[in-house]
Amino acid sequence: MKILVVEDSSSMRAYLATVIEGGTESYELEIVEAASGFEALKTLPHHKFDAILTDINMPDINGLELVSFLKNHPVYKSIPIMVISTESSDEDRRRAAALGAEEYLVKPFQTGDLIDKLRRLLKVA
Amino acid sequence: MTREDDRAREEFTSEAEELLDTLSRDLVEFEAQGTGVRPEVVNKIFREIHSLKGLAGMLGFVDISELAHNLEDMLDRLRMGKIAITKDLIDLLYDSVDSLNRLVIAINDPSLGALVDITALTRRIHHIVSAQPEQKSGDPLSELTIDDQTKKSLTEYEEHRLVENVRAGKYILFVEQTFDLADFDEKLRTLTTNLSEAGEVISTLPVLDTSGGNGIAFRLLYGSMLNDAAVAAIAPDARVSSLRKATSPVKTIAEGGPAMPEAPVDDDLSLRSLSQTVRVDIAKLDHVMNIVGELIIERTQLETLTRSHEVQQVRMLSHELTKISRNLDRKLNELQKSVIETRMVPVGQIYSKLSRTVRKVARELNKEIELVLRGEDTELDKMMIEELTDPLMHIIRNALDHGVESADERRAAGKTDRGHITLNAYQQGNSVVLDVIDDGRGIDPEKIRAVAAKRGLIGEKETIDDKRAFELIFTPGFSTASQVSEISGRGVGLDVVKKNIQELKGTIDVVSAPGQGSTFRIILPITLAIIQALIVRAGGEEFAIPLTSVEESLRIYSRDIRTVERREVFTLRDFTLPLLRLADAFGLSDDHEHGPDTKWFVVVTRAGEKTVGILVDALVRQQEIVIKSIGERLKTTPGVAGATEVGESEIVLVIDVGSLIDHFGGRAREARALAHV
Repeated sequence: MKILVVEDSSSMRAYLATVIEGGTESYELEIVEAASGFEALKTLPHHKFDAILTDINMPDINGLELVSFLKNHPVYKSIPIMVISTESSDEDRRRAAALGAEEYLVKPFQTGDLIDKLRRLLKVA
Repeated sequence: MTREDDRAREEFTSEAEELLDTLSRDLVEFEAQGTGVRPEVVNKIFREIHSLKGLAGMLGFVDISELAHNLEDMLDRLRMGKIAITKDLIDLLYDSVDSLNRLVIAINDPSLGALVDITALTRRIHHIVSAQPEQKSGDPLSELTIDDQTKKSLTEYEEHRLVENVRAGKYILFVEQTFDLADFDEKLRTLTTNLSEAGEVISTLPVLDTSGGNGIAFRLLYGSMLNDAAVAAIAPDARVSSLRKATSPVKTIAEGGPAMPEAPVDDDLSLRSLSQTVRVDIAKLDHVMNIVGELIIERTQLETLTRSHEVQQVRMLSHELTKISRNLDRKLNELQKSVIETRMVPVGQIYSKLSRTVRKVARELNKEIELVLRGEDTELDKMMIEELTDPLMHIIRNALDHGVESADERRAAGKTDRGHITLNAYQQGNSVVLDVIDDGRGIDPEKIRAVAAKRGLIGEKETIDDKRAFELIFTPGFSTASQVSEISGRGVGLDVVKKNIQELKGTIDVVSAPGQGSTFRIILPITLAIIQALIVRAGGEEFAIPLTSVEESLRIYSRDIRTVERREVFTLRDFTLPLLRLADAFGLSDDHEHGPDTKWFVVVTRAGEKTVGILVDALVRQQEIVIKSIGERLKTTPGVAGATEVGESEIVLVIDVGSLIDHFGGRAREARALAHV
């Protein structure tokens, strides 16, 4: 399975990748990293993703704009999305859900929560 | 702390330091702009604190995370217009950044932590935050016709900015443009920058390309002093439409007024850049580098002029010119060095990625591996580091999968259970060497010979030495079906790795001892931007040969050229040097008169382990060149690395010695052999 992680902080990307790899040992998972929404848009046509994890606060285009694009796209709209954000704002959480993001996770999070939500997203046990 | 924690801490420290550095500069900008500060500046500072909070929270740095959280809360109110900009607030921000800096340093040196008093700062933050929010009434968005998708995609902050722009009586516009997927980021940034000079880009929404192409469209929500016609002039390729309902008058500039504002009347029109440090697009550095290259050409011409006869007669002038030329030379070298330095990043940047993969793959293969990383400070051109990741990953996967044995096998061979893979980077002159060393089972040259013969890469009876045998594993089609596995069988063989390395003007070799392990050695030039080249002439045309590939050059006569096994050779001291006629390789007519006394020049070149003498008519000069791409169609032409401008707008091809040997060696030899029959 292949997932896309969109996050502008390099250490956060590395952390997410380590946690995900550590928590999903039982099945083959490939992580593709994008450092911005632009990078995500560029890499999308080259892969078939099973899930997308994105931050909200990023330069260029933010996570909500990315979600909005994906959920209105004929091909990408079926890819489940988890928004991982430091936003404590309920308003942005509500907007993410309204745009069609399947899961929402607030940083800092428990690693177990991330893995549980990811499993739900990927529909694996 | 485990090594993993150390790594995370190191990564956090460096990213946090970078963030705080940018933050300090943004604060200076903030203070300078005062109460009329551009919203983008405030939002940028907010985002930086926000990122810091997220990072620190994740990694459990409680003090940093708490202070950043309080600051974020205050800045959020500030950007939402809920609190005012005061001197106290700016002072507080400076003090906070100072404290955050200390806290980050204290991560690595705990003795410094005691000097930071977070409670006092927190109290000051609360004091500012508790100020009464400014109340505004009405729903300004009702003045707009804005579709639901766009509205839903706005963050709370963006919505606030939209409201502020409407309140200020700005024109609210959609600027929509379709881009090519390959370079939309660059073009969109240009558009955004242009628009920001006369207003505020509130939101950037990617939308489906409805024109039927494979591009991507962006819809910018834009608040501006300019009306749609004027914006259309700034963004000629975009569709511009107004969102204000016809009944809502724009307050500032009367309808029917001049299309462009006559003078900046608003702080929004400030042309100041947002920040003093920006991430530089490598393409821009390339451009600067090209200018340096062109300056070098000018300098060469100036030099030629100082030596010319006419000028010599006017001795004073000549003297002055020489002095200017020398000064120019020194400054140019400095400029060149500093531009190259800005492109350099430490190899360590890709180490963490590699070590993650190694850990994961080792787990999948159920092998115990220790990855040793050395020389992470060795610097290489940013662009090359990016291009290097995949080939390196491939070699390491191979080493894990095929090189390092299982624990049982290793024990039987008298080795430690745990396999070792060492990645060592170091600088050697103008090159960077990357070694991938494993202590696995090694590669058996006998097996390579057998496979190569089976695949028709060598003749059944052909004998080749070990060196040649190792080279064969980089040949297309060598990879065997039995080698394909989950880990390294990804449809790409070492031939692709070699091709990638060659595209970076590098070489790759392997040495291996059965039972003891293998070493893959990649040698790359530090940068591809500017190189020293030898300009030669062959078949009436000039060519540039990168000096890094040149060992020596010498003059010979036709009678010195012998033919051994249908290949032209020349005895260089005790070495039989195969020759390659450059004019033949490029199908140029050889206008040389042929006789035993015909003079030739041999440029002895090397690519990896291979040496060949390139036969040319003349050596012209040595000079620094800037390699330029020669476009898509000729990109794959074997033997050509690109083109360069030498002297006055004269274009010459730059020779890629590695691929010249690979592709033309055989053909040029056969053509010659026929001519001799």
